Amino acid sequence: MTIGLPKALFYWKRSQFWEIFFESLGFKVLLSPKTNKEIVEMGMKAADPETCFANKVFWGHLMWLDGKCDLIFVPRLKATKEELEYCPKFFALPDLAKILVKTPILTQTFDERRERFREIISKLGSKLKKEDFEIEKAMEKALSKEREVKETEEKEFAEKIKSEKKKIVLISHPYNLYDEYVNLDLAKKLEKLGNEVIFVDKIPISSNLSDFTPIIKFHWEFGQEILLQINEVINKDIAGAIEVSSFQCGCDAVLKEFVEKEFKSKKIPFLYILIDEHTSDAGLQTRIEAFIDTLK
Amino acid sequence: MKITVANLGNYSVCFKTIFENLGAEAVLPEKTNPRAIEEGAKLSPELFCFPLKVNIGNYLTAIKKGADTIFMWENIGGSCRLRYYWQIQEKILREAGYNVTVLNLNAKNLFPRINEIRKKNNISIWQTVNSFLFFLKEMRFIEKLEEKAAYLRPRENKKGETDQILIRAIEKMDKIKNSGELNELKKEVWEKISKIEINKNAEVLRIGLVGEIYTVIDGAINLDLEKRLGQMGVEVYRQMNLFYHLKKTVMPWIDWKIQKKIMPYLKSTVGGHGRDAIYELLHYSKEGFDGVIQLLPFGCMPETTVRPILQKIAQEKKIPFISFSLDEQTGEVGITTRIEAFVDLIKSRQKHNIKSI
Repeated sequence: MTIGLPKALFYWKRSQFWEIFFESLGFKVLLSPKTNKEIVEMGMKAADPETCFANKVFWGHLMWLDGKCDLIFVPRLKATKEELEYCPKFFALPDLAKILVKTPILTQTFDERRERFREIISKLGSKLKKEDFEIEKAMEKALSKEREVKETEEKEFAEKIKSEKKKIVLISHPYNLYDEYVNLDLAKKLEKLGNEVIFVDKIPISSNLSDFTPIIKFHWEFGQEILLQINEVINKDIAGAIEVSSFQCGCDAVLKEFVEKEFKSKKIPFLYILIDEHTSDAGLQTRIEAFIDTLK
Repeated sequence: MKITVANLGNYSVCFKTIFENLGAEAVLPEKTNPRAIEEGAKLSPELFCFPLKVNIGNYLTAIKKGADTIFMWENIGGSCRLRYYWQIQEKILREAGYNVTVLNLNAKNLFPRINEIRKKNNISIWQTVNSFLFFLKEMRFIEKLEEKAAYLRPRENKKGETDQILIRAIEKMDKIKNSGELNELKKEVWEKISKIEINKNAEVLRIGLVGEIYTVIDGAINLDLEKRLGQMGVEVYRQMNLFYHLKKTVMPWIDWKIQKKIMPYLKSTVGGHGRDAIYELLHYSKEGFDGVIQLLPFGCMPETTVRPILQKIAQEKKIPFISFSLDEQTGEVGITTRIEAFVDLIKSRQKHNIKSI
């Protein structure tokens, strides 16, 4: 049996976990390809015109998977164990997916306010008719891979932060940061101009921040995290910050106000880039070049 | 301290009265107009939802009249952006150079805060409770008037008579401060309404209005949609009003019932009134309504999320459905044309007795 995994939205929140988990359970995993023009166009046609660009890309991936596999995995992410919620658009993903594609949807609600992650995963496994020990083993394998990646990332970060080059913090959601088609390869563009790029979600949060009181208390998981991570690097000789946000992202409309305030209070230049299906490569290049020039 | 609150349909009057009854000085903003919306949109974050922009526009007119405190409800349980409104509003207005404070009340701090204000202004507990009850009474009166008006508009012989009475009644309520006076007004208004001549045999279309509460309630935002439809011979039904909204906060099991009904279509909350829109659409299609209109602010997170589901249900149940996103760029003519076309479509559908869209 093949399980389809759309390479968008929730995938990027745990980009190692799902593939390894399903494969160790003995399924074939069909990962949708990197976002391309065709996928974005499919998504635009299928999605509600006013939903955010990241969502439209997600529908594109779903349409690509439709008919190519036996099940498509779309979880319903609701809350983390810190009792912080995901974006409300994530709540309805499986329901909307059912309307859109003919392939059956495999789904599981992730509300860690009520259940622990392990319990949720074992429920998901039993939906696939797997024994408990198999599920446990697959989960451990996936989690250990996740930890491994995190450790190397922390090492990389420690090196990056010592770099002599101009350090630029890229702020966004993982699905905008790592999808190179969506953000028009922004990180590589910055590196080519001779800068060190620091992805905001790669910044490790040190434990002594429990007494940190942010300027605003978000109920969104990313909101609180991003503010903490910014606080972590803001005093470490940062040359500039760029926030990337997909058009019509409701959460970012709130978040941006406070992220901008943080950087402005430290007199660090801040650039806000909105991306959507019409963003042009040349336009973006000009803007970041101009931004980098102002950093001197 | 001069307190103000953003316009909310016809309810603004009730808010003014309750502040005054609690011993505070209150000013209301000007009626929402395109100029205020434009000014508000200039200051607000570009991608924020439309109601915030209108609110800011409202506050600016109130600040000109001397307001220095703003009342804003903080929706601590919700999943949508409404819970950050007060912080964003305070930030925007302060950055624009206005020295205002936002009084954010939420389900947790409501009673302690009110108690504080009560003690400061020397108001007894009895008076406080009374002023809340009076607030509810006024609110219900307005809502009943609105419901009656929706029934009368398509049927009245002299067009516009109902709306005249409605507007007068709201104007008069501005000066009313206690239950006795309100009862007198009620009597007077209902008497006037009973005298309106109506054509009982008029062929009236029934359309349900669903969507985000602010856009559905406020005529100044939705270009007086209810009135327009009424004059086209359409009776507008609308479940969503302030009382229903408050009732749902006090009685959460209403939401559980709604969730049960919409289970085949949506298995989770999406914040705001997303679930209600689905529930109401299902209800209206079951009741054999002629059409359903959804109203939402441009980019509203819950409503855009459920819209594909609404469209799917409308297709399944074969009920005409149209959705309008409103923002500061909404053109009156554009909306009017689309509504007229929608109503024409329904009429011709009935004439030819077509069961599919």
